Amino acid sequence: MSGTTPGGWLLVLALALPVGGMLLAFALGGRTAERIALGVLGLGTVLAGMIAAEVYAAGAPLAYRLGGWAPPLGLRLQADGLAAAMLLTAALVLLAVALFGRAAQATPPGVQEARAPFTFWTFLLALAASLAAAFLGGDLFNLFVALEMLTFAALSLACLDGRPSQFRSELRYLFFALIGSVLYLLGTALLYGAHGTLDIALLAERAGADLPTLLAAALMTAGLLAKMALFPLHLWLPPAHAGAPPAASALLSGLVVKAAFVLLLRLWIWVLPPVPAGAGAPLLAGLGAAAILVGSLIALRQERLKLLVAYSTVAQIGYLFLMLPLVLAGDPEAAARAWLGGILQAASHAFAKAAMFLSAGLVAGALGHDRVAELGGAGRAMPMAVIAFGLAGLSLMGIPPSGGFTAKWLLLTAALGTGQWWWAAVILGGGLLTGGYVYRVLAGSLTAPPAAAPRPEPPAQGPERVALALALVSVALGLVPLASFGLVQIGRPILGGAP
Amino acid sequence: MTGAQALLVAAIAAPVLLLAACLWDGARRRMPGLLWLAPLPGLAAALLAADTTPLVLDAARLRFTLALDAPSALLLGAAALLWSAAGAYASRYMGRGPGAERFALWWLITLSGSLGVFVAGDLASFYLAFAAVSLAAFGLIVQDGTPRARRAGEVTLLLAVMGEICLLLAFALLAEAVQGPSLAIADAVAALPGSPARGLAVGLLVAGFGLKAGLVPLHVWLPLAHPAAPMPASAVLSGAIVKAGIIGLLRFLPADGALSDWGGILAGIGLLTAFWGVGCGIVQANPKTVLAYSTVSQMGVTVAALGMGMAMAAPGTGMAVAFYATHHVLAKGALFLAVGLAAGSGGWRRWLVLLPALILALGFGGLPGTGGALAKAAVKPQLGEGLVGLLAGLSAAGSTLLMLHFMRRLIALEAGGTADRPARGLLLPWLGLAAAALLLPWALYGAAGLGDPWEALGKDPVAALWPVLLGAALAAGLARQDRWLGAVPEGDLLLLTGKARRLGAACGAVAVRAEALLRAWPIAGLALMALLLALFGVMLAAAA
Repeated sequence: MSGTTPGGWLLVLALALPVGGMLLAFALGGRTAERIALGVLGLGTVLAGMIAAEVYAAGAPLAYRLGGWAPPLGLRLQADGLAAAMLLTAALVLLAVALFGRAAQATPPGVQEARAPFTFWTFLLALAASLAAAFLGGDLFNLFVALEMLTFAALSLACLDGRPSQFRSELRYLFFALIGSVLYLLGTALLYGAHGTLDIALLAERAGADLPTLLAAALMTAGLLAKMALFPLHLWLPPAHAGAPPAASALLSGLVVKAAFVLLLRLWIWVLPPVPAGAGAPLLAGLGAAAILVGSLIALRQERLKLLVAYSTVAQIGYLFLMLPLVLAGDPEAAARAWLGGILQAASHAFAKAAMFLSAGLVAGALGHDRVAELGGAGRAMPMAVIAFGLAGLSLMGIPPSGGFTAKWLLLTAALGTGQWWWAAVILGGGLLTGGYVYRVLAGSLTAPPAAAPRPEPPAQGPERVALALALVSVALGLVPLASFGLVQIGRPILGGAP
Repeated sequence: MTGAQALLVAAIAAPVLLLAACLWDGARRRMPGLLWLAPLPGLAAALLAADTTPLVLDAARLRFTLALDAPSALLLGAAALLWSAAGAYASRYMGRGPGAERFALWWLITLSGSLGVFVAGDLASFYLAFAAVSLAAFGLIVQDGTPRARRAGEVTLLLAVMGEICLLLAFALLAEAVQGPSLAIADAVAALPGSPARGLAVGLLVAGFGLKAGLVPLHVWLPLAHPAAPMPASAVLSGAIVKAGIIGLLRFLPADGALSDWGGILAGIGLLTAFWGVGCGIVQANPKTVLAYSTVSQMGVTVAALGMGMAMAAPGTGMAVAFYATHHVLAKGALFLAVGLAAGSGGWRRWLVLLPALILALGFGGLPGTGGALAKAAVKPQLGEGLVGLLAGLSAAGSTLLMLHFMRRLIALEAGGTADRPARGLLLPWLGLAAAALLLPWALYGAAGLGDPWEALGKDPVAALWPVLLGAALAAGLARQDRWLGAVPEGDLLLLTGKARRLGAACGAVAVRAEALLRAWPIAGLALMALLLALFGVMLAAAA
């Protein structure tokens, strides 16, 4: 049981900064909200970097006990390698989306305050706060609250344009997410009843393979899967992610689903005993494999660019679940590789998918439509956006050098190392299908436009640069030497050893 | 880092740096004229850095290794020379403007990968270089933007990605077989014969590299892509880029008898490819397609030699095979440049193209005195005996037939007016490369440790000559059969993929319909419940 560690105050700050910023932006409104949001998200990136550096230097998780009370009475914030890595990823993506939003979500000149920009900037901060809470939270109920906040912040961003079609698809999202919440809440109630705590570290000691724990785990997992849209529970994701404005889509696809995944890892790797977890993991990975194959295949046949990208998210989420049976297979070396591979997949997908949605939004905005078959001329009008899409696509396919390649290579070798070669086949098959849909978009946008088509309006350079920068980060992740990713192993329970 | 090791770095760094320089407008505009410079550090490395101590950067963590063994040096030198000559040719051929600038970008990426595969010493950097050369070639193929070029590019890209997947899986198996964290190719190759997944790993390596080298039945992209690209790109595609597959086979399959069973299989595939290329090539009308099929056939011979060397554990196989491939790099690259020149020149100047081309063409059949004859002599220990020897001789006769057919198709290209003089920027690279293809094998034969070239030539002149004479006789017969032209479409076996494509489309349609069903609310709700119960069930069963 860890108390407050040196540097623990950073965690409080990481949480308090966006919350304070949101309240301030809400009070001051208008253009000030934009300035506050940019400042807070910039500072948040620095802070996330400091937390990661601190965890890496200490080689141990940071923790902070709120009010000095020990769990189960008090609440605990903690940052292990997983949390630090995801926090940094989220901070960078949020900052990029904020910079992207400076053009699309600027308050129109001559107006004090406009509804859409005001909502965008305040809820962007709300999203940042809830993501920080979801990564840093140390007990399952706090994490639940963070996840609910996240759902609502994400919904508000997704409905920003106020079109009826948006409301319809986001309502689907809300409804399904609420079913997930109910299941999750039932699970927490069971756990609390059985063990008298929801603190993850305490639960890890107390929970065994008993009936309430297993039932609770099944309920909570099902709830989280509904929120993550794991195939076949993905009905809400494509319309919700494709219908939102580009900046919101980038956040929804890149970050919001990952928060639920971190929670799932906390449950499966920390709380659940290895034996039942090892038995359930292949089931989840099997669904992940189905997500990869079916999602990619459907993406390949989409006629709208944004739906294509959304189905690509359905597929890429599947890769995350492949790590579970590999981490739980009981081979320490393969487990370390799979763990890193899974987290790297989450991070590189966050950058790549955000880049993809932003550039798809730019292309759709300039052409006035997003029909994949009629993208001709986009490459000439906005080369940077198309290059960003292409680079992000390379990372999703797993072409070296890119973060996606390293992630898939690690998962691949872990699969072969533990004798589970069928996951390797899925990883590779998914890469081929991914290549297919990325190629469709690139080949289409690089052809010459039909002579009669109106010249697309070239977009502002700034947003294009942001999309390109995100894509470059997802590629650059593959150039970082593997050993420097030791960060993500910090605080991971080693099977058969002490947590 | 010694000077020789610095040259290895420079071989890869030069094209990459030029590529980076293209971020500036001024440099990008001049780049088409500078392409010939990019491979020169690679050439210097081949001359000065062969068999130097491998360069290992960050040995503890990254294990990034650059190395150059003698067979790789031979191929690296030839490839760099071809890239340089073709780059000079491209400067004149492509002109200036945005199209040429785009071409230069793809050229530099492909070049960095093409030279990179010869110097990469660890699995990761080899894979990276291989991916660069495989995938970026797409940009060279589709340069003209015609539907034909686009289709060729798409087929190439699809097969290249499938090849990448085979190699990725193979490399993962190799990395798994190595004890400890090393990713060095040398360690992986040493661990391969004893690996539990030996058969699968070797099969995947053969598929991945064979696809690049054009082994039947994975050769279908080659006769589509090589004719569709602009001339200088065709030259490097057929000359240098296919060698990425050859060097892969050479470096990953040890020829010391540890894989003798696979040697026999490889030799069989190689010989089949050699005859397949001839059979499909002699009914082609386009001289570039004929050349592409000749590449298929020649790579078949190369792989057959490697396979026999592996089966017999013949010493010096690596060097002999590399020598054979080196001649092909230069001669085939030169012939593609000739096709571009033959159409634009007339009068006596046309003979500046046709005469050297004829000598190079007959060299592929082993005409005594040519570089091709020395190449055949080099792989004699592997391909000289018994039934294999007879088949190799017949394939040489087939090559003569095929190349004479090529010459006829080349002459049939519309000649320019008598006053048309070929541009000097095109003529000089061609003549230089043709001379290199004829003369360099003489200089390299001894240096490669294969013996005295004159002695090799004088030995057994009958065996060297009968394939040429037989081929010439057959060519005379074929000359009257023009109605066969076009009997086999480019990419022969691709015809059979129509059914597979329809099946794929049907599968896709089924998946779309099934997925739409799953998105219905009641079904999604049921799925959620079923998932919950299933999870609970398996966990309970495991815990009990």
